[in-house]
Amino acid sequence: MKIVARHDEAPGVRTLRLEFQNPADHDSFMETYRTGMFGLYGVYGEGESTFCVASPETRKEYIECTFRQSGRVTSALANADIGDLITFRGPYGNRFPIEEFHGKNLLFISGGIALPPTRSVIWSCLDQREKFGKVTIVYGARTVADLVYKHELEEWLERSDVELVLTVDPGGESPDWKHRIGFVPTVLEEAAPSPDNCIAVICGPPIMIKFTLISLKKLGFDEANVYTTLENRMKCGVGKCGRCNVGSVYVCKEGPVFTAAEVSRMPASDL
Amino acid sequence: MSIEEQYRTRAKELLAGGAVKMVIGYGKGTTGERRRPIFITSPDEVERLVLDEACITNLSGYLVSEGLLSDEKRVAVFLRPEGVRAVNILAAESQLDSDQLVIFGFDVVGNEIKALKGIHVEEFADVIESLKESAPGVAKELLLEKIESMSPQERFSYWQGEFAKCIKCYACRQACPMCYCRRCIVDSNQPQWVNTSSHSLGNFEWNIVRAFHLSGRCVECGNCDRACPVNIPLRLINHRMAEEVLGTFDHFAGTSKTQEPVLASFKKDDSETFIL
Amino acid sequence: MTKILFSDKLDNCVERWKKAGFSVIGPVQRNNISTYAAVERAAELDLGLILTERSIKELFFPQSEPMLQYTIKKDSIETKDFLPPSGQRIIFGARPCDASGMAIDDPLFGWDYKDEYWFQRRNESVIVTIACTQSDDFCMCTSLKLAPDSTKGSDILLRPLENKRGWLVEEITDRGRDAFKAIADIVQESADTAAPLAVVEKKFDLDRSVAWLQNPENFESRFWKEISMRCIGCASCTFLCPTCHCFDIQDEGDTYSGMRRKNWDSCSFALFTMHTSGHNPRSTQSARWRQRIMHKFNYFPGKFSVNSCSGCGRCSRQCPVDMGITETLQEISKLSQ
Ligand SMILES: Cc1cc2nc3c(=O)[nH]c(=O)nc-3n(C[C@H](O)[C@H](O)[C@H](O)COP(=O)(O)OP(=O)(O)OC[C@H]3O[C@@H](n4cnc5c(N)ncnc54)[C@H](O)[C@@H]3O)c2cc1C
Ligand code: SF4
Ligand code: SF4
Ligand code: SF4
Ligand code: SF4
Ligand code: SF4
Ligand code: FES
Repeated sequence: MKIVARHDEAPGVRTLRLEFQNPADHDSFMETYRTGMFGLYGVYGEGESTFCVASPETRKEYIECTFRQSGRVTSALANADIGDLITFRGPYGNRFPIEEFHGKNLLFISGGIALPPTRSVIWSCLDQREKFGKVTIVYGARTVADLVYKHELEEWLERSDVELVLTVDPGGESPDWKHRIGFVPTVLEEAAPSPDNCIAVICGPPIMIKFTLISLKKLGFDEANVYTTLENRMKCGVGKCGRCNVGSVYVCKEGPVFTAAEVSRMPASDL
Repeated sequence: MSIEEQYRTRAKELLAGGAVKMVIGYGKGTTGERRRPIFITSPDEVERLVLDEACITNLSGYLVSEGLLSDEKRVAVFLRPEGVRAVNILAAESQLDSDQLVIFGFDVVGNEIKALKGIHVEEFADVIESLKESAPGVAKELLLEKIESMSPQERFSYWQGEFAKCIKCYACRQACPMCYCRRCIVDSNQPQWVNTSSHSLGNFEWNIVRAFHLSGRCVECGNCDRACPVNIPLRLINHRMAEEVLGTFDHFAGTSKTQEPVLASFKKDDSETFIL
Repeated sequence: MTKILFSDKLDNCVERWKKAGFSVIGPVQRNNISTYAAVERAAELDLGLILTERSIKELFFPQSEPMLQYTIKKDSIETKDFLPPSGQRIIFGARPCDASGMAIDDPLFGWDYKDEYWFQRRNESVIVTIACTQSDDFCMCTSLKLAPDSTKGSDILLRPLENKRGWLVEEITDRGRDAFKAIADIVQESADTAAPLAVVEKKFDLDRSVAWLQNPENFESRFWKEISMRCIGCASCTFLCPTCHCFDIQDEGDTYSGMRRKNWDSCSFALFTMHTSGHNPRSTQSARWRQRIMHKFNYFPGKFSVNSCSGCGRCSRQCPVDMGITETLQEISKLSQ
């Protein structure tokens, strides 16, 4: 795939917009791709890395991925220029069943660099806004600088049909920060969204997911209405290499999207 | 009383009195000839301890298991002289505090078990010193003689054949008390110093890196050699490096817990000047 | 009367098969290790071994194999895919546990995406298994509900004759039958009888152990820590295991050219699951040992309806600290009494 645009979201976090070289690949990708799925993005000589497809299923011209530069492959991707070619396999995995969300209120909860998977679902829903009820987004990062998709956050803040609750961890605020200060689970409990007819989608680091699930339970959410994604180490992406397994679940095939009910049946200490 | 019984009694006393929290020793294995490492924490279990000529595994590697010694409690451990040498090196390299250890020293001479007197590493200095004289390890092995009589080309192809078998399981590393690095050089990928594939280049890289990292540190306990699932005679490589280090620097690894690591220190009268 | 292949005719068979386009592979002692390798003559085969130290899986799933080669030019990237080398093969003298092991892994490599590296080799191999008349302390096929004469995964089963002069021939699959057509005139009819099979003692009650593993309460049992305390995480048990199939994908080369390869990997390694952030779902050796047991006897059978173990005993035979599947399942079967 060719990199057609790059955007720095936060320190060390970059979005790449990618286009397929071969129209047939583009078409077959778009035919299969649904929000929640992931791909293996690679640089020859360095390897492949797993990221969700950060662009929504409703936009079919290109795909985007957003990643934090953290290791060998992500460094190579961060160093790639516009016009460079990278490798891509996918889309793999399952998806958020958004047609089952029709007519329901949606609550998106996300932390730090985990906004990309959430963003894909958010836009997939916002692009067909009329099909859903109230949309609430709770998003937090360690510091103001670490918030990703800042321009889109502005857009959501301005929209009257979206309620966006922004927060940063205590100490991470800037002098002109007008939003909340506190950890995502706490802020979520304060915002106290109603569980009635509501689907919650959480993405974040394992520790945030753990505490947010507890908060949602307190708020009265049913585990079957809470969706999350798991980010286990992957290699093959096609159910062979064994790396992504949690209990008997192949995260690369049966995930990465799971309901909280499914996650609670997995061996907790292996997550 | 046999040495096995003496040591059981001592282990029982130490555990019962709370002087040590654990005894790391040998127990019966799956088959008659096998012994396995066991970890005893209760005085009632000391009968499981076995001591005989089949107790060959060097147990000192367990001493650096994550968290074992971090509570400052004492641990007793069965060690042969190589094990004591290994502990000296681990102490010299600041991996453990040897004062936390109670040593059950023993050696196997022929088919006889011999008790080594002492509790602390310092008390085994004489035993180790005498080892240095007797050139331990595999010095007299036929295979070694065979390889040393080979021409460089023959020797190269011999090792090529051996390394071709390597499956990069890293059992040699895991079994070695000296390989305690939390992140081994082969596990770091920025840069990727060593190819992770077990093709011939990757295997050469790995085995040579290992040989160098163990030079002047290997105590020739043989754990790596016994662990290698594809029977590469790793002991020969270690022995060759130990000989080299002894000949060049008069360094015999693990003589004391204050011994300077030979490849990480420099003396003013060193014949090489490139380091300074 | 039954079909017999006499051992003094084996060389003719090898010759015949080679002429018919097969390469012939079998147990040999090479470079100080027993393994399966290609042979030119029957005499090279070591058919007296109880079991080779290295497993048969290497013939289907080698320790390291190239997947693609890349060359980066100024405005283009050229890639060349590697497919497994093709060619019909006869694997003569496999053991029933090794042959079963390959059949055990078929559903894994076949579900969803079909792994062409595995199946190309599977489809081009004829496994001629020799039933076991001797076993050692570590053999445990019977504990896995297999036997010294299991036919699972085999195309032909040979039963050693009482008089040691050859083998009774049992054709299992069409592929086996076809391969034996090439030596139809060498195989003879005779009234010779088969030697008694090895007696392999049952070491644990599989059903009981599995029931214990399936009970979610036992996931956090202290047992895991106690049983695995001496495990040094060397992974040689998984690498030698015929049914362990985990792998890594690695790029090797530079910015201009190189290779993407598939290498064995193992759940015994801490790095196997470690996230780049440093978070590790299986951060202790006991969690990793639990994964190995759970995967083989709970997760894998849950998904593919077969235990991921054929009872070859290599894991226990080889372990530098005398651990292994056998001991763990024995202890579990005691716990669940
Ligand atoms: C479903 C899913 C979705 C994800 N989505 C996103 C996303 O949208 N954005 C994001 O930023 N992150 C995402 N992640 C996390 C992301 O995959 C990792 O952060 C990323 O792969 C790090 O890659 P790296 O090459 O930079 O790291 P490195 O740690 O350098 O790893 C490089 C590669 O080599 C392997 N490796 C590392 N060391 C060794 C070794 N010693 N031996 C063998 N192999 C080794 C690793 O497995 C890896 O494939 C996602 C993960 C999953 C599973
Ligand atoms: S390299 Fe081998 S012989 Fe030397 S100390 Fe390590 S395990 Fe023992
Ligand atoms: S133990 Fe043997 S096979 Fe394993 S990595 Fe070491 S040399 Fe290679
Ligand atoms: S069980 Fe034995 S062979 Fe397997 S990883 Fe542990 S120490 Fe190595
Ligand atoms: S787990 Fe052990 S006994 Fe079972 S197939 Fe693997 S190596 Fe053989
Ligand atoms: S036991 Fe471990 S290495 Fe073997 S197949 Fe299962 S997960 Fe993979
Ligand atoms: S990533 Fe290989 S099995 Fe899931």
